Amino acid sequence: MSAPVVHFRGVTKSYDGRSLAVAPLDLAVAEGEFLTLLGPSGSGKTTTLMMLAGFEAPSSGEILLEGRVVNRVPPHRRGLGVVFQNYALFPHMSVAENLSFPLEMRRIPRAERAERIARALATVRMEGFADRRPAQLSGGQQQRVALARALIFSPRLVLMDEPLGALDRQLREELQQEIKALHARLGVTILYVTHDQGEALALSDRIAVFRAGRIEQLGTPRELYDRPASAFVAGFLGENNLIPVEVLGAEGAFRRCRLPDGGTILVPGCRPPGPALLVLRPERILPGAEGPNRLSATVLGATFLGDQTRLSVALGPATLAVKLPHGAAGHGLARGERIALCFPPEAAALLPPEGGG
Amino acid sequence: MRRGGIAAFLLVLPLLLLLVLSFALPVGRMLWTAVADPELSDTLPDTAAVLRAWNGEGLPPEEAFAHLARELGAALADRRLGPLAQRLNFEQPGLRALLLRTARAAGELREAPRERLIALDPRWGEAELWRLLRSAAGPVTALYLLRAVDLRLGPAGGIEAVAEEEAIYRTLFLRTLWIAALVTALCVVLAYPVAAALAALPQRLAAWGLVLVLVPFWTSVLVRTTAWFVLLQREGPLNAAAIALGLIEHPLQLIGTRFAVVAAMVHVLLPFAILPAYAVMRRLDPALPRAAASLGAGAVARFFRVHLPLSFPGVAAGGAMVFLLAVGYYITPALVGGPRDQMVASFIAFFLSQTPNWGMAAALSLLLLAMTGAAALAARALLPGFGRRE
Amino acid sequence: MTARLLLGLAAAGVLLFLLAPILAILPLSLSAGEILRLPPEGWSLRWYAALLSSERWLLAARNSLVVAGATTLLAGVLGTLAALGLHFGRLPGRGAILALLAAPVVTPSIVTAAALFLAYSAAGLAGTLFGLVLAHTVISVPFVVLAVLASLRGFDPALLRAAESLGAPPAAAFRRVVLPLIAPGVAAGAVFAFATSFDEFILTLFLAGPGQFTLPRQIYAAVRDVWDPTVCAAAVLLFLASMLLLLASEALRRRGGGIG
Repeated sequence: MSAPVVHFRGVTKSYDGRSLAVAPLDLAVAEGEFLTLLGPSGSGKTTTLMMLAGFEAPSSGEILLEGRVVNRVPPHRRGLGVVFQNYALFPHMSVAENLSFPLEMRRIPRAERAERIARALATVRMEGFADRRPAQLSGGQQQRVALARALIFSPRLVLMDEPLGALDRQLREELQQEIKALHARLGVTILYVTHDQGEALALSDRIAVFRAGRIEQLGTPRELYDRPASAFVAGFLGENNLIPVEVLGAEGAFRRCRLPDGGTILVPGCRPPGPALLVLRPERILPGAEGPNRLSATVLGATFLGDQTRLSVALGPATLAVKLPHGAAGHGLARGERIALCFPPEAAALLPPEGGG
Repeated sequence: MRRGGIAAFLLVLPLLLLLVLSFALPVGRMLWTAVADPELSDTLPDTAAVLRAWNGEGLPPEEAFAHLARELGAALADRRLGPLAQRLNFEQPGLRALLLRTARAAGELREAPRERLIALDPRWGEAELWRLLRSAAGPVTALYLLRAVDLRLGPAGGIEAVAEEEAIYRTLFLRTLWIAALVTALCVVLAYPVAAALAALPQRLAAWGLVLVLVPFWTSVLVRTTAWFVLLQREGPLNAAAIALGLIEHPLQLIGTRFAVVAAMVHVLLPFAILPAYAVMRRLDPALPRAAASLGAGAVARFFRVHLPLSFPGVAAGGAMVFLLAVGYYITPALVGGPRDQMVASFIAFFLSQTPNWGMAAALSLLLLAMTGAAALAARALLPGFGRRE
Repeated sequence: MTARLLLGLAAAGVLLFLLAPILAILPLSLSAGEILRLPPEGWSLRWYAALLSSERWLLAARNSLVVAGATTLLAGVLGTLAALGLHFGRLPGRGAILALLAAPVVTPSIVTAAALFLAYSAAGLAGTLFGLVLAHTVISVPFVVLAVLASLRGFDPALLRAAESLGAPPAAAFRRVVLPLIAPGVAAGAVFAFATSFDEFILTLFLAGPGQFTLPRQIYAAVRDVWDPTVCAAAVLLFLASMLLLLASEALRRRGGGIG
């Protein structure tokens, strides 16, 4: 693996000198990687990005860009492309002038500027809009121009701060695909900030989940989804059932656990006997009674969602969400009916109990 | 952040200097002039020193007479006597002549100054005059402020009313307040329908209507007052129209009347009442009167229970602005008013240029400033947000 | 419906009261006779001819332009700088500075005139053009600061960050991004400052030298001291000049400048 493009070493940020907006942060971003900082608002992800861009100074620690400490380098000398939350296109300049701006700052000759602007507009499929003002463009078009502007001077690293936050869902998904394609084509390193877990899963090579100024977990989307390291991550990425259980003992590589309704199941993991938290994705619960993990639940309600039906079922005192794919058995159930459910052992995981270590 | 703070301060500094040097300090200095009493101690320093040490009973010690005679003579020779003569004569008419006569005779007063001074003018033998001089020895005096409300320091030391024929300032302040209040009331009443009608128009039409208000607003005050001066002439268009309509038989004298002052001032200040009222009414949610109607409110109830309370901040802000401007008005009363329509500002101007008396000019300014300040504070207390710029 | 009609009629009446006196001067200025009546006895341009050949009036116009021009420049520069400092810096005592700025606007002109008259007499500034420009700047500059602050409030700070992230050093970012965006506000403030100085009378009356007549002072003298019908022609021309300023101000407001 090549040397990291970005390296945070023990970086902290405090605005008031007491509480930390970013707790000591250590993070390395590899060349060509698409790394997403994911977390709820106020979790420190945007502050982290702004420190890297140079708009905020770290309170302590070092930020390295390609091996060089940049703590005291002003933003305009860092050479990073930044895509801002609300695009930050210059309203008094046309699209072409916006794209020309970074090239002029780098004293690139006029002829080359024109050529690169044309190329950049083609890249984001915005040919023919060169003379428009930003106010004359739709949100999606503005976003494309903002992308083109951040990429036109060929930065090796592009920072994106909630770039799709202001767009409606359909447009957002369309642009996600474009950003992903651009990343693949240009090989540029992207550091992306979002609070939208779906976006993070769809785009990223790796995701760093932020919570209260700390990285809660860092890994590939699949790792985070399947093997969350904490209840927070388990709940933040996708829908999850978090059920308090009692670990009774080991059975080979599995632990036998007692469910809230008294039934027992087998789950992989290495929790010691005692209370624990069972993590179980709703889409991994199936109708039927196969394998060692069988549940006998009572239907509380069913919602038809088109591609799936979402059931809410009671398992003793606990409530579980179950997603049944369209056409699967178990539809048309009424409130109060009993239903037999099961899940393969590897679909579940054990976490420390809430409040405990 | 630190460096940003210093840079920001350096950006503001030039303006700050201008405002402090060319506004705040001059105003402060002028307010000090309203109570400062430097003339006697500047012109007759030794006499002032002796008088300050004197207990005020009977006549002052012999040396006061000696210093007085000597210093008066010297001041006359150097032509420095004017300010003191004016200062004392303002407090007690006749003292200018006494000072001049004494100063001219200073050469003959070296020997036995006390007897010869009293022989020159028996007033030098009166304790009352000496006490007046003692009170003028500074450094501060209430003379001007008291006079600005028709009071004076009596010879016995107490505060008393000035003679009836000199009592003009209370009337002046009451007249100023009355004219300002009348103009404010008329402006508010006239502004309301204009603002309401404009606010009811669609945005595009209202913008054109607003231009009709902005035209007089931007037109020079002098131009507008001149227009009234011409309109109100005895042979002028207003009289001619009234005669043509059969309202009057003979032209009326309009220039120099209270009517002329009020009409012209309302005309000049009306846009200040319309613009804030319109701004507030424009922002009113049109759904609110509809909601009131759906709840059973008739037109009268909608106006008094919904429209008026909601538009009040704008109307009151406009009224406050008109009052603040009207209370210090100068041009309009000076051009179309008569002697009985002059306001405080005219007297300040009078004491600045025609009969220089900076103490009185400053005292009247201080009271005028206090009046506007009180009005501004009242407006701020009544209207949260008044004075806060949008 | 009748209520709306009454409201409209009342508004129209008040607007007529506002406009008629000003518009009445126009025919009067074109009168052929000395006596001002409507309609005039005959039409002529004699008062305009008298105006344009009068050295007094031309000098007054020149003085007004010089003072208002210098005031606009000084107030424009000082006001814009201060507004930038007030907006971008976190200054202690910001409220006090804004209050000091508002004070000359709410202080009666005659009080300001008296204070400056005393101070200038002591400082040797009385009767100087420089002193007059300083005084006019004090009462005009708040409008510049307000207009520039208003346009800065609409300024998205992310644009500055964007400029820097694209490689612009702070000075270039200011010149290329901040300045063009607040230009309408600066211009609107400057227009208002010019109009304020151009109209100013009381400060000028007390602070200008005996020969320094501005247009308002000349009109005042022509109305009050010796009635001179030329004043109608002057008033019409001054009115037209004010309308130019109004047009400029409205045009700037539509471009996002302006006060309020």
